[in-house]
Amino acid sequence: MISYKGQWLKLSPVAIIYFAVQFVKDVGNNLIYLLPAIFVGYNQFSENAVTIVSGLAALLVLVVISALLKFYFYQYRLTEGRVQIHSGVFQKKHIDLPFERIQNVRFEQPIFYRPSHHVCMLLDTAGSNKLEAKIIALPKDTADALKREILSYKAQEVKTTENDEPQTEHEQLLNSRSIKDLIMHGLASNRIWIVLGALAPFFNSLSEKFIEGVENMGVDVDALMESSQYAFWQYFLFFLSIAFVVIAVMALISVLGSVITFYDFKLTRSNDRYIRRNGLFTRHEVVMKLSRLQMIVCQQNWLDKALKRVNLKFEQLGAGLERQSAGTSGGKIMVPSVTLEQANTLASDAWPENQLKTIKYHPVSKRLAVRNTLIAFWLLVPLSIALTYYEQTELALASVTLFVLATLLIILGWKRWGYAIKDDFIYLRKGLIGVNYRCFPIHKIQQTQLHQSWFMRRFRLCSVKFVLACGGQTLPFIKKPTGEKLVDTSLHQVEALKRSWM
Amino acid sequence: MSADKFSNQSITPDDLAKVNSQQFTPISHVYVKVNLMCRLVFWLIIVSLLLILYWQPWFTLPKTIELYLPQIQLAVGILGLLSSAYGVIADKQKGYAVREHDFSYCSGVIFRSVISQPILRIQHVELKHGPIDRHFELANLEVFSAGGAMHTFAIAGLPNETARKLRSYVLTHSDIAEND
Repeated sequence: MISYKGQWLKLSPVAIIYFAVQFVKDVGNNLIYLLPAIFVGYNQFSENAVTIVSGLAALLVLVVISALLKFYFYQYRLTEGRVQIHSGVFQKKHIDLPFERIQNVRFEQPIFYRPSHHVCMLLDTAGSNKLEAKIIALPKDTADALKREILSYKAQEVKTTENDEPQTEHEQLLNSRSIKDLIMHGLASNRIWIVLGALAPFFNSLSEKFIEGVENMGVDVDALMESSQYAFWQYFLFFLSIAFVVIAVMALISVLGSVITFYDFKLTRSNDRYIRRNGLFTRHEVVMKLSRLQMIVCQQNWLDKALKRVNLKFEQLGAGLERQSAGTSGGKIMVPSVTLEQANTLASDAWPENQLKTIKYHPVSKRLAVRNTLIAFWLLVPLSIALTYYEQTELALASVTLFVLATLLIILGWKRWGYAIKDDFIYLRKGLIGVNYRCFPIHKIQQTQLHQSWFMRRFRLCSVKFVLACGGQTLPFIKKPTGEKLVDTSLHQVEALKRSWM
Repeated sequence: MSADKFSNQSITPDDLAKVNSQQFTPISHVYVKVNLMCRLVFWLIIVSLLLILYWQPWFTLPKTIELYLPQIQLAVGILGLLSSAYGVIADKQKGYAVREHDFSYCSGVIFRSVISQPILRIQHVELKHGPIDRHFELANLEVFSAGGAMHTFAIAGLPNETARKLRSYVLTHSDIAEND
């Protein structure tokens, strides 16, 4: 047990670096919006070097002072069954968190904590993200002891009659990822497009810079475009090779991102707890109790399909809130690019009765495809007719082509939809070019919804939504009696079994 | 309230309690009227604002706006009337049902939906009444589950008394007591 209980404690001095880095990060996040302005005004800046340097120096002093102050005013106390934290320089923040309200314990180990073996401990509570408590710097051993104490606290409360858990907990390795796997994950994951999307606002200034740069090297771009000395296919090849280079660079960035986030990925299990450790610079450690697991998701985009890999996700509470963070932080556990076999092993390790691998899916009504095609039709075909009328033949043709493409995708999407209910589990399959398999136990359902539009009523169809603690799962366009039976069965299982969802 | 008798009869899927064959209690007719009034007042304010814009002596409007303003007013007025009428129809479709172990709420004219909330999964209950609701002794019952704020189960337009009863039904329900 921890010996310094009940006293107010100061952090280890290494936390000063943490505060400083955090401050720089915050400032950096705000400065990103100024980046184009800095680019544009670069010349003016370079003339006032002295001002810049003194400005930077002032900023540095500010960072150091703020970090020292934050360090000075931060103290924490561990008393019987609760964590108390006092922090804040001007705006004081007092957190008093009983152990039983802690849903999840996470560790973060930034690279500068590694030599001194410190970690940052994050305590998540149910509900809002704002109620998160952070103990900035704890020695690793203390943190581990505290984690064990917090996690066993509730269990002890419930089963006081039972003996304590054996002290020697042994962790069983379920899965680890090699660099090769992570490279595959980087190639297959869609981060390329996220990066492109994030760069979108800068495209204009970037391309201007690019052309400027090329022109500075002595190439006259305008002349190149206008001159008739190159054939069309040469231009085509030229742009193709540029596109290829851009995609290659993006893929490289994506691979790097994947390696940095998931480096030395290890998923272990100790009794009823899953532990995920990963990260090259900042090490993350996330602990999830098996009972908190709400849904297993197997994701495969088209590249994953080609490489025969799956991204396996263990979704727990409130995953909706953390969807933006690409599965690195937060309580969600994602095992990147596992083989189908490994995915099945992991899924059946968590829920032995689930049949994610063998289950046969029922298709949803083809009216889903019909309705979506009709929507696409009314959006695009009258448009193309109107365009033909105004003699914009090319645009009209493009609009018709778009309609054909949309129809193909709609049919593909409809084919992917599938559902199955077997024993205590509901299975959903969806996707477009990739596939997404989901599986959750019926007794974890929080709420059911049955929807019917006027169009669906005519054909005796309905959509069903199962609300779980990790978000809502919709199953569209199934026969109304089937939908009603799904809802009735779900409610019956929840209400009759009275099993806990966490 | 549910009796604590143990029963263990076999159930085939067809014998399960059916969500859709419940008797839904329509929401308070006072609420329908109040809602209609609020909508009409809202649209009236918009139309009057447009009128003020048309008649005001302080600045001249651009030509096109001045030309089409009467038509716009007419369109807004008709839209207001139509949407108010639709609101009445929609409100009449809203209803709730209470069973031993769950609440259900149905709504929608073109898009019908039935939302069912098992009492066992309820995290907390809120009664909400705004100033207008208070005046007409109405309340909204909001029930939160772990499904998140996006999936809050809400019954609007309950008479105060009923809302209080429903809340205490939830709070004293054996499922909740067991879960704590």
